Amino acid sequence: MSDPTASLALPDAAAMRGFPRADGRRGIRNYVLVAYLVECAHHVARMMAAPFQDEGVQLIGFPGCYPSDYAQRVMEAFATHPNVGAVLLVSLGCEEFQRSRLRDAVAASGRPVELITIQSAGGTAGSVAKGRAWIAAQLPALAAMETVPITLSDLVIGTKCGGSDGLSGVTINPAVGHASDLLVDAGATVMFEETCELIGCEEHMAARAVTPELAQALRGAVLKADTYYTALGHGSFGGGNIKYGLSTLEEKSLGAYAKSGSRPIRGLIKPGVQPPGPGLYLMDTVNDGPVRFGIPNINDTQTITEMVASGCHLILFTTGAGSVVGQAVAPVIKGVSNSRVYRRMEGDMDVNAGTIADGVESVADVGRRLVAAITDAASGRLTKSEALGHQEFVLAYKTYEPLGPSCLPG
Amino acid sequence: MAGTVNDGQVRSAANLVVLAGADNVGIALTDIAAGDTARTLDGVALIAQDAIPQGHKIALRPIYQGADVMRFGMPVGLARADIAVGRLVHVHNVASRYLDNNEDHYE
Repeated sequence: MSDPTASLALPDAAAMRGFPRADGRRGIRNYVLVAYLVECAHHVARMMAAPFQDEGVQLIGFPGCYPSDYAQRVMEAFATHPNVGAVLLVSLGCEEFQRSRLRDAVAASGRPVELITIQSAGGTAGSVAKGRAWIAAQLPALAAMETVPITLSDLVIGTKCGGSDGLSGVTINPAVGHASDLLVDAGATVMFEETCELIGCEEHMAARAVTPELAQALRGAVLKADTYYTALGHGSFGGGNIKYGLSTLEEKSLGAYAKSGSRPIRGLIKPGVQPPGPGLYLMDTVNDGPVRFGIPNINDTQTITEMVASGCHLILFTTGAGSVVGQAVAPVIKGVSNSRVYRRMEGDMDVNAGTIADGVESVADVGRRLVAAITDAASGRLTKSEALGHQEFVLAYKTYEPLGPSCLPG
Repeated sequence: MAGTVNDGQVRSAANLVVLAGADNVGIALTDIAAGDTARTLDGVALIAQDAIPQGHKIALRPIYQGADVMRFGMPVGLARADIAVGRLVHVHNVASRYLDNNEDHYE
């Protein structure tokens, strides 16, 4: 090590390139998105996308046949996401999804779009042939598209944990917190989530809010989560936590909250709402109103899906037990809390924070490596889950009221 | 004991991490026996007065009854009694602001 101060600087971000979009955002990928609009069109859409797995074609969809404003909003957000360059919509024909509205929104965004309706396109075989031909015709233009230099201030980063263990709150989550601080200081937009796992952190969060009204909105989001999960019958602190050294509910929550770092909280957003400017935001992941449609987010992927719908280019995902998930449209960078799982699943893990528990790296050291992983991914390097072909996506029924006026102060 | 960081630099291994500068507890990275030295990478060192299992907290400074236990810059509970430097900080001497944890939850 020649210069001890060198490690304090941000990783080299000079190689980052982006695809400029008409709305001013810049993508770090230029995917073809294939989207089915009801489960009945899923197989046909998968058959269209399958031959192009290694050419950046992404498959998403909404399984429901009944209308949903929330699902419509999330699907439109994905179809106009900066990482998407062209969109193929696959409809059965009789579902209630508003397919023409979605097609028109994509066309208005300046992207090539095609809507194939299976009932009028020759059924399965005819539709698959048309879809594959359309995708093949898009790929050369997408590959040739000019890129422009981008900086960290062009990026929206989401943070998420899943399959946490006793070291997650000591190693990888605080390291993500340091990375979050570095990113916010560099002008990036960062979001964190999991209001149901922030019970006990609401006063600390409120003190970080940029206005008193936002502080109250943050408290309200946590209270809503507490009330909702209590109605569902979920409890959240017990013997296993204590065995691993956690003394209180608020200390347990801190394990997840640590990912948010220490910078001021600029706003509270809901799925599909884009943060209006750089800084740190909390994503409200719990339904508004009474308990409806069951558990708000049925797994990690649904929460990640919501963050991508709010514009995340990349996701920092932390795990202890060893999750392998990736995500459609936004590459996932995975950090693991301990070296034992890192050695066992190195092919899936981008960053090992077990070095902190091993006593050989600091939290800040790993935080800088996470930022380096982001600049690498934004320079075109595939993340581990991306290279392995992961494209997880989950969208289910939820209900949200519009954002209140105090949620996004200037 | 020593480890190799990804840049090849060798450092002496630590068994303790302090997550934020103002914290009054550190977290054991490995099981630390009573009487052993708890040591961070950046030079904090103290003698453990109790056994501190991995993931558990040790008092870095005296924490007086009613004072906040601070971890990663956030209060994570209130001291039920005065806690001396080097002692284990856990359910026996920390109260939650939210949920009664004053029971023996150990299996």
